[in-house]
Amino acid sequence: MADLTQTQIAQPTPSRLRFKWNTIFDHLILIAGSLLMLMPLVYAFITASYDPVTIHREGLALTFGDELGSNFEKALFEKGGFTKTVDGMVMLKNSFILGIGFAVGKIIISMMAAYAIVYFRLRFATFAFWIIFTTLLLPLEVRILPSYEAIQRLGMANTYSGLIVPLIASATGTFFFRQFFRAVPEELVEAARIDGAGPVKFFIDILVPLSRTMIAAIFIIMFVFGWNQYLWPTLITTDESLFTLVRGIKQIVLTYSDAAIPEHGQALALAIVAMLPPVLIVIFFQSWFVKGLTESDK
Amino acid sequence: MKLLKIAATGLVFAATSASAQTEITWWHAMGGQLGETVNQIAEDFNASQSDYKITPVFKGSYEETLTAGIAAFRAGEQPNIMQVFDAGAATVIGAKGAVIPVQDLLAANDVAFDINDYIPGVRYFYADADGKMIGMPFNSSTPILYYNEDALAKAGVTAPKTWEEFASTTGPALKEAGYIPLSQSHLPWIFTENFHSRHDLPFASNNNGYDGADTEILVNNDAIKAHFSALKDWKDQGLFEWYGTGWGDNAKPFEEGKVAMWLGSSGSFGGLVQKVDFPFSATMLPYWEGVTAEPKQTFIGGAALFAMSGKSDEENKATAEFFSFLTSPEVQYGWHKETGYVPITEAAYEVAKEDGHYNEFPAAEVGIQQLSLPAGDNTKGYRMGFYVQIRDVMNREYGRILTGETDVETAFANIEAESNKLLERFAKTQN
Amino acid sequence: MKRAGFTNPWLPILLLVPQLSIIVVFFYWPAAWAIQSSFYLQDPFGFGSTFVGAENYTDIAQSIEYRKVAWFTVYFTAIVTFLSLSIALLLAVKADNVLRGAKTYRTLLMWVYAIAPPVAGFLGIMFFDQSHGPLTRFFGFFGWDFKLGVDYFDTATAMIIVAVWKQIPVNFIFFLSGLQSIPRSVREAALIDNNSGFRRFWDVTFPLLAPTAFFLLIINITYAMFDTFGIIDTMMKGEPGANPMTLVYKVYLDGFRGNDLGGSSAQSVVLMVLVLVLTIFQFRLIERRIHYT
Repeated sequence: MADLTQTQIAQPTPSRLRFKWNTIFDHLILIAGSLLMLMPLVYAFITASYDPVTIHREGLALTFGDELGSNFEKALFEKGGFTKTVDGMVMLKNSFILGIGFAVGKIIISMMAAYAIVYFRLRFATFAFWIIFTTLLLPLEVRILPSYEAIQRLGMANTYSGLIVPLIASATGTFFFRQFFRAVPEELVEAARIDGAGPVKFFIDILVPLSRTMIAAIFIIMFVFGWNQYLWPTLITTDESLFTLVRGIKQIVLTYSDAAIPEHGQALALAIVAMLPPVLIVIFFQSWFVKGLTESDK
Repeated sequence: MKLLKIAATGLVFAATSASAQTEITWWHAMGGQLGETVNQIAEDFNASQSDYKITPVFKGSYEETLTAGIAAFRAGEQPNIMQVFDAGAATVIGAKGAVIPVQDLLAANDVAFDINDYIPGVRYFYADADGKMIGMPFNSSTPILYYNEDALAKAGVTAPKTWEEFASTTGPALKEAGYIPLSQSHLPWIFTENFHSRHDLPFASNNNGYDGADTEILVNNDAIKAHFSALKDWKDQGLFEWYGTGWGDNAKPFEEGKVAMWLGSSGSFGGLVQKVDFPFSATMLPYWEGVTAEPKQTFIGGAALFAMSGKSDEENKATAEFFSFLTSPEVQYGWHKETGYVPITEAAYEVAKEDGHYNEFPAAEVGIQQLSLPAGDNTKGYRMGFYVQIRDVMNREYGRILTGETDVETAFANIEAESNKLLERFAKTQN
Repeated sequence: MKRAGFTNPWLPILLLVPQLSIIVVFFYWPAAWAIQSSFYLQDPFGFGSTFVGAENYTDIAQSIEYRKVAWFTVYFTAIVTFLSLSIALLLAVKADNVLRGAKTYRTLLMWVYAIAPPVAGFLGIMFFDQSHGPLTRFFGFFGWDFKLGVDYFDTATAMIIVAVWKQIPVNFIFFLSGLQSIPRSVREAALIDNNSGFRRFWDVTFPLLAPTAFFLLIINITYAMFDTFGIIDTMMKGEPGANPMTLVYKVYLDGFRGNDLGGSSAQSVVLMVLVLVLTIFQFRLIERRIHYT
């Protein structure tokens, strides 16, 4: 502290000046960064206020048209599809089920597995570890056809569980929890054992509450991942009442060679709708999210 | 196991169908407004009778629909009707036992069928070597030349009949008048497959591939190489522009009035009416007078409906009834009017004529007229396996020609070599 | 494993069963299926097939186009990883520096995280539209006649920009939390030792951030290799043509789009091996890290 004052006394003016300039410079970079990141979304939102013909002819716009309300209304409430039951709200619901079901399922399954790997003396622990972690990076796109066959044989096509379960197969969640559990102080287990707590009690009473922020972080990551799936839901669902938002958007965007004008205004409106829930969740839980990541990273 | 399951579902259906409607499903790839029209047709069919109920399901792009259908078939969960696009036809028809030939299906269910009721260019594209129709043509279109009437009037020219005319007169005059004279939207379909048909040139060995899987592509020929050399020259001279492989990217400059003439699909008509604010019309696909003095018909692109096998007799009966409904002149004319796709039967064409549709929109008739031109030995279509990949190879090499990355000779040598490799691989999948 | 672990014999097995069974059904069985079908050429409907030995693999090895795709994947992965990491790091350092508004910036920069890849690709198409895309115009202003879908280099550039844009928020969040977990005392000491912000960053902050950076490196490599699929697919507009593509997209093209099960399975196996190497590499890095912290 004394040193600090000394340096400041030694060269008072330049240091303070530079400090200020640095701060302004920092803010400038951050503002520029935020602008670049958000501009596309602003464009998308404003362009969602035009009719398809205008968008087709003029592309993205930066001044509002007068179709904003009707595009959002159509995107959310216009009954589409053959059964005339699918609207934006149904797709929203399905996306929520997929996102939440996937995130919750993954957290439960991977916490259990990570707990077993980290806290138990298990003869085949290394083996189980490798069996799980070789799956860490292989994406669904590469194994999509056999996965489809498996789902069909299990009679899970056109069900929510058929949508969700195959996506849970990769081990990312288990990996995060393993890292986190390993950083939990040893003393806790010892203390629990001295108190006579069994493994189940330790898990539920101590480990789960301790992992709160980690669970929140993983929930957000997995929710967004599940929410944004496209190829798998398209392949696995034929029942219109199971269609998700991303699939709905792609269905509109897909009309490249179509004779008709694609409803891009509606697609953009739907894209904004599809973006909001995960964004709100991310922003709402951001402090937990950041804390969870920080802790996992030790 | 799989068989047992199929049998079991068959039994369940047999048991219930006595009292209830027979339900069938139809997987299709028609997004956006076309999807709405598909839904309308299905609703009309359901309303027209009470024995059967069809449910259409949108399954994504053509490729996604085909793959979903294949995966479902392997698991014994296939739909009754699957829409398959032109390039995927060989895969489906090659898999003997995957589909019931539509001609057999109709005959077995006492629905009258005569292939000569269909428009000539439509008849044999989805047929086998003996001329038996396997898939029911659905959204059928053929490449035609659209032109901006204002642009042509300004340049003082008429739409070209031949490429020679385009190169010497139409192109330069349009360029002079401040337009990019020409663009096109699908090089493999328009400038390769239909190029061969229009000039009656063989496109592949084995009768364009219809007679067997051990086929070799004949694309490395002088006529088409000369065509692509000309195309590259035109691009360099500003007579032609290429905006990428995407369909819409090439159509857009025409819709915006920058490009004076655009080669697209006869099915584009409906959309163009909505999109453009200048008078436009259409004419037939130009040909090289130096190659042929008697240009022939083109064949269809788009997609067909296939009746999948492994279904109960009741369901097949329902499928046959639906096909019968779909090919009725009224439904065909409605589809034609709504979407711009050609009506597939002569009877529907007559209805459209009587209704005065072509007096109002002469351009809507060009596709059918072109499909009804005299046939030649090489005009019924082509049948090649892994054709999706072959088209991808063509698109890739054509793109490289037009961006100057490669020359015409090398590109066609590559296309020939890679296509034949793919065909050879495909032949091995058929044993 | 914890030194003070439990010794219950059946509970861990019970805990592992759900994860293991899902993995066996949806990972190992499909992987085995892929390995098996990579030695065959088969009709996709399952009627005909020919055992071809290693032919599918030799075909890949000999294909000039496959090599081009592989090289593009390498370049694409390297550039996307580098750019999205460095831009995010810059923003995170700045957001950590400023006292006022840090939370606002954090909130603003998180938005894009939630966008679905196909939607990002769709926005990319509109921004790089040949006739009226704002970015096409922007580049045109500098004399760059940007042509998405025509020019290989331009298309690659557009794909990279969209992929980086989509990935910056994730990296930003991780970097920022990494920075904020550096103890106050260390920062203050660094401030005393060194007045130059830049030097201070490289000498003190960056080494402390290295574990986060390593972790993110792997995450970003897999993102660029696999999760950009939706972006690339949408930006191709359904037609690959002469456009650049990544290896996983090629698997999709040949297998899913072209129904060449044998060829695409062989490509899948190649990717699986690649991914396995990457995973082992990642664990060795992480295990080492655990030892010295």
